[in-house]
Amino acid sequence: MDTGAAIAGLGITDVGKVYGRSARSFAAEAVRLAADDAGLGLADLDGLLVSAGITGGIGIDLAQDLGLTDLRLLTQMNAFGATAGAMVAHAAMAVMSGTASAVACVFADAPLRPGTSAGAAYGGRGGSAGEWHGLQGYAAAAGMRSVNAMYAMAARRHMETYGTTSEQFGAVAVGQRAWAAGNPRAQMREPITLEDHQASRWVAEPLHLLDCCLVSNGGVAVIVTSAERAAGLARPPAHVWGWGQGHPGQRMTRGSAFGLRTGAVTSGASAFKMAGITAADVDVCEIYDCYTYTVVITLEDYGFCAKGEGGAFAASGALGPGGSLPTNTGGGQLSGFYMWGFTPLAEAVIQARGEGGERQADRHDVVLASGNGGILAHHATLILSPHVKGS
Amino acid sequence: MHSGPVRRDDRSAGFFDGAARGELMLRRCPSCSAWYGPDARGCPDCPGTEPGWAASAGTGTLVSWVVAHGRPGPDGATPEPDVAGLVELAEGPWMTAAVEAPAAELRAGLPLRARFERPSEGEPYPVFVGS
Repeated sequence: MDTGAAIAGLGITDVGKVYGRSARSFAAEAVRLAADDAGLGLADLDGLLVSAGITGGIGIDLAQDLGLTDLRLLTQMNAFGATAGAMVAHAAMAVMSGTASAVACVFADAPLRPGTSAGAAYGGRGGSAGEWHGLQGYAAAAGMRSVNAMYAMAARRHMETYGTTSEQFGAVAVGQRAWAAGNPRAQMREPITLEDHQASRWVAEPLHLLDCCLVSNGGVAVIVTSAERAAGLARPPAHVWGWGQGHPGQRMTRGSAFGLRTGAVTSGASAFKMAGITAADVDVCEIYDCYTYTVVITLEDYGFCAKGEGGAFAASGALGPGGSLPTNTGGGQLSGFYMWGFTPLAEAVIQARGEGGERQADRHDVVLASGNGGILAHHATLILSPHVKGS
Repeated sequence: MHSGPVRRDDRSAGFFDGAARGELMLRRCPSCSAWYGPDARGCPDCPGTEPGWAASAGTGTLVSWVVAHGRPGPDGATPEPDVAGLVELAEGPWMTAAVEAPAAELRAGLPLRARFERPSEGEPYPVFVGS
């Protein structure tokens, strides 16, 4: 009986302000760690999927760095923050079709340099020599100087339309920081209060500093194989029950749902249907959190609360430790580390295995991991479980 | 806007030529007459057509906005923040543009009209103000 695919190995390098190493070095180490975690040798891998971050520091020549030979699947993928989910889905399809039998999926990036700010590392539009070019230059001169500003524009629309407040965004930040206290890998583990959130400087109003994700150096990899094979390997499998993608392609014109609805609507529905579940069956959520606002709108679009009520849902305490829907249990990208979609994916695997230590959610039969890329333009969803699909 | 001069490039020449005349220029498909924002590269409904420039009425409403707070300068003074707005023009397209309005008056749906700033250096550009 075909019981689908599973994640059999997870590798996470040192992450955060880790200097003096290249993205290639992080990527190679992450793959080695993931294979070792699964109880596999590198020679057992016959597939490799590569995702580079903002610096573009890795590509398919990673296979050579690792000495991988006779691969049956090798490619680089990019749907920005939605890449991790898309990679695992691609790897699962490869395994289920017989294209490959053990596929490593890896992300690595190293944008941080000693003495430079996270914002500078992520390339805010500074306008060289104080000049601005073309229509993008005009928009930047007007105030749209970074990705932060574009998300701020989306967040403000949500606030204007549904009455969402900055304090409700703050509840997401406070809850995730509380989770991060239980994650030894988290970059930010000191507790914060709503007052701290409100007092943190504006990055791009309405987004405070504590609404924004970290920037990290490091690498993460997972090994995808068949559920049958995973059962005989070293670690408890995280079975891949379902996946989906959503790319709304919204036109910026009258009637656009920009800032109000994301690809999570389509992506979530596809993943839930494939997994044979509904939102009510999800025990743990690992939601892509480039910003607190992204968590709010994504939870709405998945149907964990009604449209427009994501802010109130967060403010109710539902997402933090002890809440009804444990969300971003490792601190997410706001407080844990920023490895694009591999941050939620890695924590989803840890939670599905029941290896979260003091941050482990009591119930973890169904774990959701999301990815979001561009300015809410790309979305991917994975449903993971410690149980074989259909069991 | 508190930043340096805005310079034209090939794709924005028609926009800044219009601004010099006091006209807000948008893109318009010559085939289906659909309006697009000034940075549109083509009409997805009419492959192969090259959207031209057409003058907008220069009026619209505020969809959303960002307040860009500056960092303190060498003299310790923090500059007045810039407001970038997402403006829905009467013709339908959205564009990102400079907005000048008191922060307390900013709201979705605020009626706006374009006026044109003519700095001593760089291209003239639209600024949307309450109408």
